[in-house]
Amino acid sequence: MSRRALRTFYNLLALSLSGLATAIGLFFLGAILWTLIKNGIGGMSLNVFTQMTPPPGSSGGLLNAIYGSVVMTLIGILIGGPVGMLAGTYLAEYGRTSRLSMVIRFVNDVLLSAPSIIIGLFVYELLVVRMGHFSAIAGAVSLAIIAIPVTVRTTEDMLNLVPQGMKDASTAMGAYPWRTITSVVYPAARSGIVTGLLLAIARISGETAPLLFTALNNQFWSSNLGAPMANLPVVIFQFALSPYPNWQQLAWSGALLITLTILVLSVAARLVVSSLAQGGKR
Amino acid sequence: MSESTEPGQPDPNPNAGVLRHLKPSGRVHLPAASEAGPAPSGSQATVENPVFSCRDVRVFYGAKEALKGVTVDVGRRQVLAMIGPSGCGKSTFLRCLNRMNDTIAGARVTGTILLDGQDIQAQDQDAVQLRARIGMVFQKPNPFPKSIYDNVAYGPRIHGLTRSRSELDDIVCTSLQRAGLWDEVKDRLQSPGTGLSGGQQQRLCIARTIAVHPEVILMDEPCSALDPIATARIEDLIDELRESYAIVIVTHSMQQAARVSQRTAYFHLGELIEVGETDRVFTNPRHRLTEDYITGRFG
Repeated sequence: MSRRALRTFYNLLALSLSGLATAIGLFFLGAILWTLIKNGIGGMSLNVFTQMTPPPGSSGGLLNAIYGSVVMTLIGILIGGPVGMLAGTYLAEYGRTSRLSMVIRFVNDVLLSAPSIIIGLFVYELLVVRMGHFSAIAGAVSLAIIAIPVTVRTTEDMLNLVPQGMKDASTAMGAYPWRTITSVVYPAARSGIVTGLLLAIARISGETAPLLFTALNNQFWSSNLGAPMANLPVVIFQFALSPYPNWQQLAWSGALLITLTILVLSVAARLVVSSLAQGGKR
Repeated sequence: MSESTEPGQPDPNPNAGVLRHLKPSGRVHLPAASEAGPAPSGSQATVENPVFSCRDVRVFYGAKEALKGVTVDVGRRQVLAMIGPSGCGKSTFLRCLNRMNDTIAGARVTGTILLDGQDIQAQDQDAVQLRARIGMVFQKPNPFPKSIYDNVAYGPRIHGLTRSRSELDDIVCTSLQRAGLWDEVKDRLQSPGTGLSGGQQQRLCIARTIAVHPEVILMDEPCSALDPIATARIEDLIDELRESYAIVIVTHSMQQAARVSQRTAYFHLGELIEVGETDRVFTNPRHRLTEDYITGRFG
């Protein structure tokens, strides 16, 4: 075989292997989406959004679970977002090369990959045991702890993308560091930070394990943050394992709903990033 | 920032700037200053009633001495040009004057730098307050991600210089006029500063700098990212600004130094080799290294 033919062969081989790997990955994603849509779309009706989770055998919806998920995710990001952003700001602007920053970065990476069930257990010990009962606020806190490392990382990365020249210009104008950060660096990195927050929301809106130990579940409507609160992941978990067809159907619908929400959030994050990239080119 | 010699990071190829200008003959040997005898910088280093008075200024990045005892004065209402091959310490020296080296981890400055007779490195001297009195224009135009108006209003706002909106409007208007940008942007003050052309952006940065009425303006190769026409405009502007400000400019272009400056300082491998009246330095250099550089034998 000539050298050229050999090269063409290797190229073809590499191309087919990577193509195959991509196809395998996409196949499972497609299969999951297809299964969700096939099984979930049938149960999608107005009832899902207007009625409470039903007892076995009767009709109902997911309203209380949707409400609970939205509330706990929002509180989670309201606590975790600012903490993560400020910590990321410290790492990118104030700490940079300090020893403390290196420790924080390492710990943050550990936290980022810590199993979420551990975080659930931690909050269980921290809040649930002390309060004596499960509660929505405990659920929100555990979601916040999951959101923090994600936000820290994205904020630091995005702030590091702001050109040093821009920061120097503000410093040379006689601006204190906090002024440079709030007036120049944050506006320059705004879309990146927003993207990070969206991704953090997407991440925590699907978490089940931490809520199992903290917010638990509630069959009824509850807006009391001190009491157990229904939420989509735990409802899906409970209903999918049940022997009742109407519960199983609602679990499929809930799963489809969560997946679509995360999809929309991720696409939104992508769009923000691409508009940022275009803005940067100009 | 890629072309600039970034202080703090060791330059991987300190002769890059030299090689770039070199004719086909290939590698160049940068003679060490000591080979050519001691630097007679004392003779014309001082002026009467200087803005800046620098004595034996040394900068260390870690253990490396990047600036080896520079003694020079900056006179009022005149332009001091600093020339020399890449990595010779001229930008490092410039950044001493507004203590921008403070922002680099591991950088240490020794010696005395007096601004109007006041030691800017004194313990009780707040670097942030100091920088408000010294403007700086960078190599790469770096407008903030704000409107043209807000870019110029940034300094007056952070220092609380104005009490009313109309006062601020006046400052923005006069600063843009002095920077020669007003006619081009007066109808779009609210559009983003980043949308301007490179030369306009640099004039915007100059307008932003003079909006706070600094005592000195430092310029770090302000024209190296601009085309010849934009460069000519900035040079005219420097000449006008000289009527009110002391200006220190780092430049790689000897023609530019000759055109805009009254005094020229030649740096070589971290040492100030020669400083004097620009005409004298260019026509009758006292030091062999200066002569070699300005006649294009290297650099």
